[in-house]
Amino acid sequence: MSSVGSLLDALGGFVDLLPVLLIVTPILMAAAPVALGLRFDRTGWTVAAITAVGLVSGALALAAEVYTRGAVIHNLGGYPRTYGIELVADEFSTAIIVLVATISAGVLAYTRRGGPRGNTFYSAYLLLTGGLLGISLTGDVFNLFVFLEISSLATYALIASGDGPESAVAALKYLILGTIGASIYLTGVAFLFMATGTLNMAELALAIPGAEAQVLVRAAFAFIFVGFALKVAQWPLHTWQPSAYQHAPDGVTPLVAALVSTASAYALGRVMYTVFGPDFLTSTPYLTEIVVTVGTVSILAGSTLAVIQRDVKRMLAFSSVSQFGLIVAAYGLVNETAFVGATIHLVGHGLMKAGLFAAVGLVSVSYGARTVDEYAGLATNRPVAAGATAALLIALVGVPPAVGFVGKWYIGLGAVRAEQWPVAVVIFLSTMLTLAYTARLLEKMYFTPASPLEAAHPSEPVAADGGDGAAPLDRGVPGAVSVGMVALVVVAAVGAIALGFAGGAFFELLDPFVSEVFN
Amino acid sequence: MVTVESVRPLAAVLVSAIAVVLIVASYRRPNVREGWSVLAAVSKFAIVASMLPGVLSGTVYEWSLADSLGVEFLAGVDFALRADPLGMLFATLASFLWIFTSFYAAGYMRGLDEHSQTRFFAAFAASLSTAVGIAFAANLVTIFVFYELLSLVTYPLVAHNEDHEARVAGRKYLTYTFFGGGVFLLAGTVMIYWLTSTVGTATTAFEAGGMELLAEAAVAEPGYAQAAFFLLIAGFGVKAAVMPLHSWLADAMVAPTPVSGLLHAVAVVKSGAFGVARVILEVYGPGLIHDLPLSVPGIGEVGLNVPVAIVAAFTLTAASIIAMRKDHLKRRLAFSTTAQLSYIVLGLSMLHPYAVVGALFHIPAHAFAKLTLFFCAGAIHVETHTDYVSEMAGIGKRMPLTMSAFAIGAAGMAGMPLIAGFVSKFYMLLGAGYVGGEYWLFAGTLLLSGVLNIAYLWPVVYTAFFESEDHHDAKPVLEFSRGGVFESYFAEDRVATDGGEAEDAAEATETETEDDYEYAVDEYPSDHTVPEETDTGGERVGTVDHHGDHEDHLTGGPPAGGWERRSPFAESTWLMIAPIAVIATGAVVLGIVPDTAVFLEVATTVVEGVFGVESFGELQGLSLSEALEVIAE
Repeated sequence: MSSVGSLLDALGGFVDLLPVLLIVTPILMAAAPVALGLRFDRTGWTVAAITAVGLVSGALALAAEVYTRGAVIHNLGGYPRTYGIELVADEFSTAIIVLVATISAGVLAYTRRGGPRGNTFYSAYLLLTGGLLGISLTGDVFNLFVFLEISSLATYALIASGDGPESAVAALKYLILGTIGASIYLTGVAFLFMATGTLNMAELALAIPGAEAQVLVRAAFAFIFVGFALKVAQWPLHTWQPSAYQHAPDGVTPLVAALVSTASAYALGRVMYTVFGPDFLTSTPYLTEIVVTVGTVSILAGSTLAVIQRDVKRMLAFSSVSQFGLIVAAYGLVNETAFVGATIHLVGHGLMKAGLFAAVGLVSVSYGARTVDEYAGLATNRPVAAGATAALLIALVGVPPAVGFVGKWYIGLGAVRAEQWPVAVVIFLSTMLTLAYTARLLEKMYFTPASPLEAAHPSEPVAADGGDGAAPLDRGVPGAVSVGMVALVVVAAVGAIALGFAGGAFFELLDPFVSEVFN
Repeated sequence: MVTVESVRPLAAVLVSAIAVVLIVASYRRPNVREGWSVLAAVSKFAIVASMLPGVLSGTVYEWSLADSLGVEFLAGVDFALRADPLGMLFATLASFLWIFTSFYAAGYMRGLDEHSQTRFFAAFAASLSTAVGIAFAANLVTIFVFYELLSLVTYPLVAHNEDHEARVAGRKYLTYTFFGGGVFLLAGTVMIYWLTSTVGTATTAFEAGGMELLAEAAVAEPGYAQAAFFLLIAGFGVKAAVMPLHSWLADAMVAPTPVSGLLHAVAVVKSGAFGVARVILEVYGPGLIHDLPLSVPGIGEVGLNVPVAIVAAFTLTAASIIAMRKDHLKRRLAFSTTAQLSYIVLGLSMLHPYAVVGALFHIPAHAFAKLTLFFCAGAIHVETHTDYVSEMAGIGKRMPLTMSAFAIGAAGMAGMPLIAGFVSKFYMLLGAGYVGGEYWLFAGTLLLSGVLNIAYLWPVVYTAFFESEDHHDAKPVLEFSRGGVFESYFAEDRVATDGGEAEDAAEATETETEDDYEYAVDEYPSDHTVPEETDTGGERVGTVDHHGDHEDHLTGGPPAGGWERRSPFAESTWLMIAPIAVIATGAVVLGIVPDTAVFLEVATTVVEGVFGVESFGELQGLSLSEALEVIAE
């Protein structure tokens, strides 16, 4: 530890700048691929890769500082927080920053060969990364809106870059609903500003308990919650999400599915716990009940809808609805254990979904399979892809030792501690619900022999799904898969299992933040 | 009790996990692959056995993730393995029987020229790894981890055939076991963690005689403590196939026979019974279970154990009756397993020291006998493709040694003296007798089920040795539909239900109920003829019972010229005969000299630990309440 400490001393002033650099670098670099594109053909990946490596090392350096010494706070331009913008890297946000940096870097390993290609894609990619890091780092509720919009706009562009009209429709749907969600959030922020006269999160936390117009504060919470429920894709506001995930290019889905909703869910937790605080949550009548109900209903609805899907990407999209339901329900339980569980599940789910969606892309390229039925015989023909997918699916169910189990353990324990028995029942039953759709895929991959009949599906239009559907009969192009694509999936699977042993470590790392919030 | 830090419990778990990797790596060379299986089995048993003397003399070997690597598994929860007497009982049994099963499995899989053998042997080794993990788990979270992994790695074995039936059975298997593990057991574990946290430092670690903090917490929160108890029992009860959670077991018989034998008679189902033992003896403890008042309307307050005992007693009677109607031999054995596991649960839930010793000894006793029976069923399948009892008339000529071993196993099931099953039932009856009171009902159930065991297993032996393929009795219990036939046995006197004229009525019935006619007794005017090969419906030879092997029913039964007569040494390959002979001998040894054959000694050591006495003799002749007072002291 002491060597780490001395290293940090040497970096002293630099670490203080890290929050700014983490946001500004990717956003500025987003212009580079387009600008360089005027002279060179394919610079996008290189620029993105260099930036991503920088971001990962920056995020890790920041994490080392935050988890050894405590939060890093940077006031932009040196203005005090009452009217300036503050960037806060504390124990909660750093977890998300590390996730965003590593997953977005990992996705590059996929897109190098798997596509999408072109400089504009990498511009949007860097913009998205910057926006997500901004969401994680900002300490200002209006600034949060700005970063939400930056990342959302980049996401719309990325989704629309898929081939075919479905992608455009999906992006448009997401654009309309996403903008409505952001506007609702902004309305909530306006109410908060009216009630308290500040936009800084820490200042708001101090001002809210004493605010005279509690009605405004409550209305603000209602707007903010609904806005985020849309962004996080909670039932019944999830409708944009399945088609967005399904029709996005295969290289984009891991990024969007693992990070965009995760960042929104993180922001919801941040606003609920840092801005409004546990006392407000518990003292406002029906607040926790509503939050918990939204979460539990999403768990049930999301997994039920996932079970009946035929397209694997769509199935996993509905699975996200249900998994985020678990997180939102945990937020609603308002105790330390559940909150730790929600954070772990945010990180764990991001990792697992990134791996799973990358695996889906991999399989569709190398095996020509997109629907659950087409996955038959995958284990025999592509053992590595099938094995990694199986491991990730099992981790998602919550079989120990894997990160899915750690999150569920803390959330379940939180529900029991809160003595919220209906929620506890749903959380424990969610194992079965998740199993219902994962087992379907496992069974297809391992215990259903591939048949030529299942391979072809001529009735479906081929262009809709990323452009590789042209050759379903000869079962894909195994050679089109790069080592990087396989490595991403395998590393995600190994990581999901390795983090299963980190339950105690997670708890300790988050403890300073959690005990501050809850006392 | 001395606790020693040792890596041996972990090594025992990991040795077969490493074998999984080696097995997969050498998939091109079947001989090397099976060599790894055998090597892992032998070294696993050696590691477990090396701890046996120490454990019997009061040493406990422990390995924990936090102490050795400094990694905390979950906040406040250690991932720990601990070789204590109860764990040793299960680990010794599973690792010892695995040695012979790995030979047998090689013979079986090659005999049938099965597909995906690498996956099969890898999953098999992984199952053993997790089973030993369950045995050595030192707390509820660790046991949960291995319990879930066991469900997972046995799934490929159940769905091995990759046909529709196997997939359906696999789905059912996953649903049941994950409901038990991921829902009930996890919920119960969380409840225990929470309950103990209300009175002290939260813990889920097992303590012989019950967790002290839990006893404290149960005083404050009796309702939640009871709920947690039933959640845990239900969680383990799924794998122990306690009714109404048993139906996965019969369906899981589509798996290859070595799986049905070792896993669905020893490792998997016993892990459920073993878990029940952990909950009763080392989480709640007999004292707390007996004293937590569960008020039942109309009866008053009863201990928590009574509902469990009632369910177990019901299961063992009902499953035995169902077994009588199963024509498919492996299914019949599956229901027999359901019944026999409930013996263990019943014995444990009676709480008396003798009953507990009986129940614990029944774990190995049943394992040896039932493994023999399954091995025999598998050998018959490989050699003759016969799966149905109704086709086994005279098969004793073809497979004399196998059927003799079957007879020994059957006698062990029924609890005949000189075979292992007798010893355990004897102790359980003694226990029930000492408790007295209403427990006589349980003693009665035990005795009744002995008779039922004869009723469903003896016909197999009888038809094999004392009947011949062209002349054997009808099997009315199998052939008639449930609840009898809705027709008069006297066709001439048949009267219409509306009281109309007999002749018209007879005609009417004939046309309307043509289907039923096939079962009617006048197709088989006498009980003593050979039934014709028609589809008689019911459970016999029905398509329902078709068991995955596409050709089994088509090629089953005696060949055209009747069974040929073979010598005991030429009836099958030695890979199958030798394990059958060894395991059957084991069952007899356990029955004749239980004292010197380790398992009884381990079982009594467990009970000594739970009741906190120096020697089992101190508990002699005590009634239940007196014995429970001994714990309190």
